[in-house]
Amino acid sequence: MTDAKGIIFAYSASPDLGDLVKQRTAASLPFAGRYRMIDFSLSSMMNAGIFDVGVIMQRDYQSLLDHLGSGKAWDMDRKSHGLRILPPFGLPEFHHGNYSGTIEALSAVITYIEESRQNYIVLMLGSLCANIDLTDALKKHIASGVEITAICTEKNISSQHYKYVRGEDGFISEIRYSGDAEGLTAMECYIVNKKFLVDMVRNAMVMNQFRFHKEALADFFKDGGKMGVYMHEGYVSFIRTVDEYYQANKDLLKPENRKSLFPKDRPVKTKNNEITSTLYGEGADCRNSLIADNCWINGSVENSIIFPGVAISAGAKIKNSILMRACSVEEGVELNCVIADKNVQFSEGVTLVGSDRLPIVVPKGAVI
Amino acid sequence: MKKKCIAMLLAGGQGSRLYALTQQVAKPSVPFGGKYRIIDFPLSNCANSGIDTVGVLTQYKPMKLNSYIGNGQPWDLDTSTGGAYILPPYLGAGEKGSWFRGTANAIYQNINFIDEYDPENVLILSGDHIYKMDYSDMLREHLEHNAACTIAVQQVSMEEATRLGIMSVDEADYITEFEEKPKHPKSDLASMGIYIFNWEKLRKYLIDDENDPNSSNDFGKNIIPTMLNAGEKLFAYRFKGYWRDVGTITSLWDANMDLLTPETLSLYDSSWPISSRNDTVPPHYVGENAEIIYSIITEGCDIDGRIENSVLSSAVTVEKGANVLYSVLMPGVTVKAGATVQYAIVGENTVISENAVVGNPPDGSENWGVATCGPDICIKESARIPAGAMVYTGEEEF
Repeated sequence: MTDAKGIIFAYSASPDLGDLVKQRTAASLPFAGRYRMIDFSLSSMMNAGIFDVGVIMQRDYQSLLDHLGSGKAWDMDRKSHGLRILPPFGLPEFHHGNYSGTIEALSAVITYIEESRQNYIVLMLGSLCANIDLTDALKKHIASGVEITAICTEKNISSQHYKYVRGEDGFISEIRYSGDAEGLTAMECYIVNKKFLVDMVRNAMVMNQFRFHKEALADFFKDGGKMGVYMHEGYVSFIRTVDEYYQANKDLLKPENRKSLFPKDRPVKTKNNEITSTLYGEGADCRNSLIADNCWINGSVENSIIFPGVAISAGAKIKNSILMRACSVEEGVELNCVIADKNVQFSEGVTLVGSDRLPIVVPKGAVI
Repeated sequence: MKKKCIAMLLAGGQGSRLYALTQQVAKPSVPFGGKYRIIDFPLSNCANSGIDTVGVLTQYKPMKLNSYIGNGQPWDLDTSTGGAYILPPYLGAGEKGSWFRGTANAIYQNINFIDEYDPENVLILSGDHIYKMDYSDMLREHLEHNAACTIAVQQVSMEEATRLGIMSVDEADYITEFEEKPKHPKSDLASMGIYIFNWEKLRKYLIDDENDPNSSNDFGKNIIPTMLNAGEKLFAYRFKGYWRDVGTITSLWDANMDLLTPETLSLYDSSWPISSRNDTVPPHYVGENAEIIYSIITEGCDIDGRIENSVLSSAVTVEKGANVLYSVLMPGVTVKAGATVQYAIVGENTVISENAVVGNPPDGSENWGVATCGPDICIKESARIPAGAMVYTGEEEF
C-alpha cells in the first residue's frame, strides 16, 4: 500500500476567471470537453495508489461536491481512509473571508493530517492541469532522504511567480518570486514528510504566517533547508485566468498534449454520466476539434471544444470556441472565440466574435 | 424478502450465426450502437421498470460478460435489497450436474435462487434483443388479466410470421393457440421471447417438464404449449415500439444503422436511459482532414478520414485518407491510411491495414452480404475482404 495521503486545495476563488467561477471554484471548472479541473489531481493520486485523499474547500463548493460524490470515479469510496471532504470547520476564527494562505488552510485540517496512518503527504492544487507520475515522484522523494520535494517543470509560465534555484548538489536552496526569474517553475505540488509538515504549519501559525511559499518556505531556506526536486516532463498549465483557461483548452487540440495529459497507463477519471454517443447529421463539417458524447452536430465546428449534450443546428459556424454542457446553437449562429458556460442558448442568426487574447465569456444559462 | 417480480435474463446463447463476433464472447456482450453492449438493453429496461433483482444466466464464454455486469452498478442495480447476479450452471451435492439444456431447464436449475426472493412473478428475458420496454406496464396487464403467463407479442408481416413463434388470440387477447414457425400462420402476432409467469404456477410446470424425458425443456416448444393444453390463462401483451432480434450479422448491422435515424430508435431520451459500463476516455478528436456525416461517433475516437452512415464505438482510430461507409466499428478498431471499410462490421481492436478494402456496396446479387471481421485480428495491407465474407482468428490468410 502506498504510504502517502493526498491533500488537494480546492478552495481558491481565482477571481481572474470572472464569470466562469461565479458559481463554482476553479477546481470544479469544466475542462477539455468532459472533465473538471480537480480530475487531474485526483487521478494523479489514484494512479499512484493514493486513495486516502482530503479535499480542502471553503465556499461555493456545491458544484464540486456534486462532482466528487462518494469518490467512486477515482476508487476513493472506501469504508475508511478514502475521499474526505474538508469544508471549513465551525470555529469562529475560520469564518472570516477566505483562507489567508495555504498554511492557514492546512492548519484548519491539521488534526486530520496528523492522525493519518501514512508518513508522507502529497499536496496539490485542485486547479492544476497536469498528469503527474506520483509513483515515481514518491519513490525518488523517499530515496533522497529530504523532508520535502517540490514537483517542478522546465516550462516557463509567466503567471507563476514561484521559481526554484537548484544548487550543484541537486537540491533546491532558494525560492524566487518573479515569473521572469531564472529557475525551475514551481507546480505548487509537494511531497512532504508528515511530521515535517505538521511542525511547519504549527510553527508558522504561532508566528501568524499564513503563506506557504512567501513565509514558511522562505524561513525554511533561510535556515539552510534543502528541498528535493522532481521534474515533471509532461504537459502542464495553471488555470487562474480566462486567458489561461482558454489557451489550455486549445492546447489539447494538439495530439502531443493530449498524449501527455491522457496517457493510457495513467488514465484521468471523472464522473461518468454520458449515456450515448454523438450523432452527426447531414450538414456536419468538423475540423480540429474535441467533441464529447451525447452531442448533436449538424453545423460546422472548427478549432473548438464541445462538451456533452450540445446541439448545433444546420448552418451554424463555431470557430475557436468552447461550448460547455447542454448549450444549444440554433440555425445560422456564428461564434468565434467564445466561451459559453453550461446551458447557454444562442438563438437563430446570432453572431458573437471575441478575439484570441480576449475571448467572450457567456455566463451559465444565458439566452442570446 | 418477498418480491413482486424479479427478472431472469437468459444470456447463455452462443450466437452461432454471429460466429466471427462471438467466437470468444457470449452474444449479449457483443458491442452495439457506439457505447453499449446488447445486454445493456434488457438490464436498463429492468432498472427503468423498477425491477431491482436480475439473475443473469450465463454459460457460453461468460468471462467478459461476468466482468461487464459486475455488481450491476452502471444500471443502478447495486442496491441492498436487489442486485444483478451472475448464475452459471452449478453442481449440487451428489448430483451429476449438467449444462443448461434449454431455456426452461436453465430456469429450472435456478429454482433455488428464485425461491430466495419468493417472488409473485418472474420475468423471463433474452439477452439478444434491442428495444426499450416498460416491463412494469406489462406486469400491470398481467395482473389485471389474472394470467398464469403473459407473453409480449409484436405484429409482424405474414411472411415473417413463418419464421417466428406465432400466437392466435381471442377478442380479449387471451392466447388460444401457439405455433412455432407455422407454414400457414393463423395470426400475425409473434412472440418476442419476453414472458411474465406467476411463479407458483411456473415452478410446478418446470418440475413437471423436467420429469418428462421427451421434453426439450424449452419455453416456446414445451412449457407454453403444455400450459395452454392445461387450460391456463395465457395473455398476449401487445408491444408496438421498436424491437429487433440481433441474432444475425444482417440484423445486427440493420439495428446499428437504425440508430442513425433517432426517430426509429432514440437513445437520447433521458426519461428511459440505456446505461452501459465504460472506461473514462477523453472526448473524440476530429482532425484537419476528417469528413463526418450521418454517423455516430463515441468518445476516445481519433478521426482524420471520411466517415459516412456509420456507427463508431469508443477509441476507434481512422487515419487520413481512410474511408468508412455504412459500417459498424467496435471499440478500439484502427483503420489505417488509404483503407476502405464499407458495408461491414469490424470486431473489437481489429486493425485494417493500409489500402485494404473490406466489404462492397450492394450489387443486387444474391451472394451479397455485410462483410464481418472478428475481434483482435489484423487485415493485411491492400487485402480484399469481399462482401458477405466472415474473417476471424484462426484463419490463415486475410
